Amino acid sequence: MKRGMVIDLEKCIGCRSCVVACKQHNAQPPGNWWNRVFTPGSSRHLTPPEKGREYFLPVHCQHCENAPCEKVCPVGATYRHDDGTILVDYERCIGCRYCMAACPYGVRQFNWEDSKKAMKKYGYQDGYTYGYPDDYRLKGRLVYMQSRPKGIVEKCNFCVHYLEKGLDPACVRACPGKARHVGDLDDPESNVSKMIRDKNGFNLMAEKGTRPTVFYLPPKRKEN
Amino acid sequence: MSQRKKIGFLISGLVMLAGIVTWFYQYQEGLVLTHMRNSYSWGLYVSGLAFFVGNAAGGLVLSSLIYLFGVKSLKPFAKLGALTAFANVTAAMISILPDIGKPLRLYNMLLHPHFDSPLVWDVIVLNLYAGLSLLYLYILMLPELKGPLAKIAIKVDHPGEFSEKWAKRLAPFSLVAAIGIHVVTAWIFSTQGGREWWFTAAMAPDFIAVAVSCGTAVVFIVSLLTYGFKEAHQPAYRSMATIMAAALFVHLFLMYNDFIIHFWYGAAEALSTLSITFIDYGAAHALEVFAPLLAVILLLNRKIRQRAGTMIASCLLLILGVLSHRFLIMPAAFDKISLTIKPLGLQHVEWSMPIASGQYDPLGNTFVTKWHYFPSIVEIIIFMGVVAFMCFVILFAIDRFPIAEKADA
Repeated sequence: MKRGMVIDLEKCIGCRSCVVACKQHNAQPPGNWWNRVFTPGSSRHLTPPEKGREYFLPVHCQHCENAPCEKVCPVGATYRHDDGTILVDYERCIGCRYCMAACPYGVRQFNWEDSKKAMKKYGYQDGYTYGYPDDYRLKGRLVYMQSRPKGIVEKCNFCVHYLEKGLDPACVRACPGKARHVGDLDDPESNVSKMIRDKNGFNLMAEKGTRPTVFYLPPKRKEN
Repeated sequence: MSQRKKIGFLISGLVMLAGIVTWFYQYQEGLVLTHMRNSYSWGLYVSGLAFFVGNAAGGLVLSSLIYLFGVKSLKPFAKLGALTAFANVTAAMISILPDIGKPLRLYNMLLHPHFDSPLVWDVIVLNLYAGLSLLYLYILMLPELKGPLAKIAIKVDHPGEFSEKWAKRLAPFSLVAAIGIHVVTAWIFSTQGGREWWFTAAMAPDFIAVAVSCGTAVVFIVSLLTYGFKEAHQPAYRSMATIMAAALFVHLFLMYNDFIIHFWYGAAEALSTLSITFIDYGAAHALEVFAPLLAVILLLNRKIRQRAGTMIASCLLLILGVLSHRFLIMPAAFDKISLTIKPLGLQHVEWSMPIASGQYDPLGNTFVTKWHYFPSIVEIIIFMGVVAFMCFVILFAIDRFPIAEKADA
């Protein structure tokens, strides 16, 4: 079993619902975003860089098979789960941020300050909380918690806390365009394997040799 | 204690204290007090690691020249070399502590070391080198550990011969460990294929070259402050100036060799990386090249070597240039978003995927593609505190232990 994701750029409407769902479900502190969607070639989202050349690119952790972040972690806080997902152990991370220097995709986020204190400081309404409320441990390792302490690194965990409930990641469930799919990359007959094969699935920055398990399907050429 | 020494202790002590207090404040509030953010996640503290590691090369240069190549004129400086090596390698390890988000969890490095990580190798080799420098210093001091210090001296029949014999035996090991700290520290960066600026085989040899140059400069300064100007030391001054110059030329060659091949090929990614160093941080680049160059040209001049003041100033100029060089490890790696692509269907456009800054800012952008970093006042005070610690250790050791040659002083 190798868990992977396919994002169909033809279906993505750039609405950022996945960004919001991800932020909310995973209780990301103010200023941190595990998932982001932009318009390639344009400095303003949803604005075509050239007439008829508009598509949208969602980027979060690529859960690489040759993950530099996993290799550089001096304490093994960033590690690979049995299904290939790259996780961060919030209890072990020392906050050296070597993984952030190593990741070519810029998906890792640091807790520069305490998340609760930050919400207060930046004027969130008193007592407002969001996100999956319970700690989640996978074989004893703390891979999700709602309130993040300062000084640790976090990133997309493929919603590992929903996995045993049989739920897909929040971004997959929340996508109104049904552009996101998860499945088993080891199984050639799985939905994701078929889509990658039939629709020219590609990786971001394949030349870096990171072998991501997140694949993208190219958008069709738009009419001018 | 002389007036000068007292002032030295006072200043280094106070700055060190300011550094400790500021670090405590940063520990309370979080690294939000630095000017680093998600897209620019390493700054002055990590540059500080590379800077102090480079300064620690003095022990290597002197011990290998004296005991492996027989350059006798440097012998009065051997202990100073070992001491500056110890002080700087310790400072290197300390300078990285304030960069750690959860310093109280550092025990995880012992409980769960992950041996794929170059950072783990670096911690091992830095500690090894610190231990070896200390041992080396102890062996060199052994014949003079008398009076109240006799307590810490091991009992041997002929301390002088014993010291000489073991210093000679230890020299090759300290040489290997010393080269190791520069190579492994360079590997922290140069193994990272995700950052074009770092991903070069030139970095490890370049780290050695820089270290030999500025490590010697540190010993040079300390020896002048300890002994003052002495005509008898002229051959030693000349040797050190020559080493600094030769190593600097090797460094400039390695650096520009790397730039030229990338510039000639002209790939857009490489050019945009180079433009950060040459244009955005052009002044810092000019400083890293011309300050050390001017320093060694001055030091190679006999007239400059007639006065302690001019020699110290030249060495400081070189060290300042090297500090700028260490600072510049970061901008071209972090001021450019790694995830820069040519959007599908737009062949000639280079576009960077913005990264969340990591701090909510009512006036600033939530997502950024450029982060012009300059260390915050907190980072500068903490860094100065580490510099002060290094000076304090050297002052303290010279004051309390038989490190300066008595006959010479």
